[in-house]
Amino acid sequence: MKHTVAKTIKIWWHVALMAAQSQLSSGWSGIGFILGKIFRILLFFVFLFTILQTTKNLANYNQDQVIWFFLVFTFIDSLIQFVFRGVYQFRALVLSGNYDLDLLKPLPTFFRPLFGWADFQDLVILIPLVFSMAWFVITRHLVFSFPSLLLFLFLIIVSMSVALGLHLFIISLCILTTEIDHLVMIYRDVQALARFPTDIYAPVIQTVITYVVPIVVMITIPAKALLGPLSFLTVASVCLFAALFCFLAFRLWYFALARYSSASS
Amino acid sequence: MQKYLTLAKVSLQEYFVYRLNFYLWRFRNLISLLALVFFWLAIYGSRPSFLNYTKDQMLTYIVGIAFLRGLIFSSRTADLAGTIRNGDLNKWLLTPLSIFKSLLARDLSDKLLNTLFSFLEIFIVLKLFAFSFAGPTHLLTYLYFFVIVILAFFLYFFISITLSETGFWTEDIWATRWLFGIIFLDFFSGSIFPIDILPSQAVHLINLTPFPYLIFYPAKIWLEQISQAETLKAIFICFVWLIFFFWLSRFLFKKGLKHYEAYGG
Repeated sequence: MKHTVAKTIKIWWHVALMAAQSQLSSGWSGIGFILGKIFRILLFFVFLFTILQTTKNLANYNQDQVIWFFLVFTFIDSLIQFVFRGVYQFRALVLSGNYDLDLLKPLPTFFRPLFGWADFQDLVILIPLVFSMAWFVITRHLVFSFPSLLLFLFLIIVSMSVALGLHLFIISLCILTTEIDHLVMIYRDVQALARFPTDIYAPVIQTVITYVVPIVVMITIPAKALLGPLSFLTVASVCLFAALFCFLAFRLWYFALARYSSASS
Repeated sequence: MQKYLTLAKVSLQEYFVYRLNFYLWRFRNLISLLALVFFWLAIYGSRPSFLNYTKDQMLTYIVGIAFLRGLIFSSRTADLAGTIRNGDLNKWLLTPLSIFKSLLARDLSDKLLNTLFSFLEIFIVLKLFAFSFAGPTHLLTYLYFFVIVILAFFLYFFISITLSETGFWTEDIWATRWLFGIIFLDFFSGSIFPIDILPSQAVHLINLTPFPYLIFYPAKIWLEQISQAETLKAIFICFVWLIFFFWLSRFLFKKGLKHYEAYGG
């Protein structure tokens, strides 16, 4: 098992490097996309500051804490886009039947759909972003304690597991319906709600974004972990939820895979 | 005229071939509209007014975005870039059809369908949140609104064609559209938030671009938040931008055709 995981990571690294070469080979395309991502972050920052200048706190979070939520959102969103960008190309594989070729390879069936294309333009964003986050938490004294920092890092891993589950749900639905682009964008539109602390939303919305599209688990709870102590019950519930979510996602994936009709191949 | 009407009908029929795709696209629009409403409701909380907008005005603005986006941003002109790159433009050049008029005919069917569905989505939101929809109190405002919407309709059409025409010179067609046709367009047109909540220097800069005349000014005119002089000025500037992009799109098309090598055509 350990050997298989190590081998899969090694293959991902090679695939990611090839994706990077492809992205770097097109000059303006790479620069244009990176500029777009940077502008989007900066423009949302301007919007955030505009709101925070008028209202000094949101849902009992002060300005620094609200900015921290935004930074964590941007970090996790970029990380997810970096790792799971392959999802956007899966529809073409299903429609053309070329996914058959991936099923013949000694790799997990979900490898190509999920990890087949790492987006290095997001990595370019991630590196300065991590430094900005570190600078921000240090200068604003946001780290509650050293264990809370460790818990934050642990919950980022849990967040990525939930993101894995979510993307598995999406690619499963792609096999069943051959639709994917709008599904991904619906998820991303809902995820955008977590740019701000999700506590500001009405309870019914919080329920949806905790259990249906679990962005609270993916973004808000990790962000909160750094700001103050989380109860053992909260952390245990998050881990249990992530495990259950991934289990269901894998069940749906294998259900959908059994119905893959290999059209056009 | 008849041939363009037929083209519009065929375009309309195309949507019903991939019905699930279309329904998911509209569902995504509903979700993004709901996400915006939830966000602003959360920001307002119990405040009656925020950033110079009453709660009803802001919600009307958000709902107005849904309508205006359906009417103005729904377009098939983005396809032109791909058509140029893959050589399919040959087909258009050989038919006794004007490419611009053909694109307009396809756009009209796209706008018709999207606007009709946006009414349905707006109806759902109005029923769900039961807020008082702010409408004009003067009859003349309806005329101003109608005029600027028609101008914005054509302005976006020619901006989008101009962006697509970069395909004559570069293979990286999506980066340009992503930067100017999505990121700048979304933020500077006021599709995410009203731009006049930003600092005045930022508003002055944004007003130098054509984008705010697409969504922001039509919405402001509807809300009667700008004076008659400002309304006429906005309509005039929108008209000037329209003339400019009309000329630019035709100029680039003529230049581009001389550069066109019909790869793959």
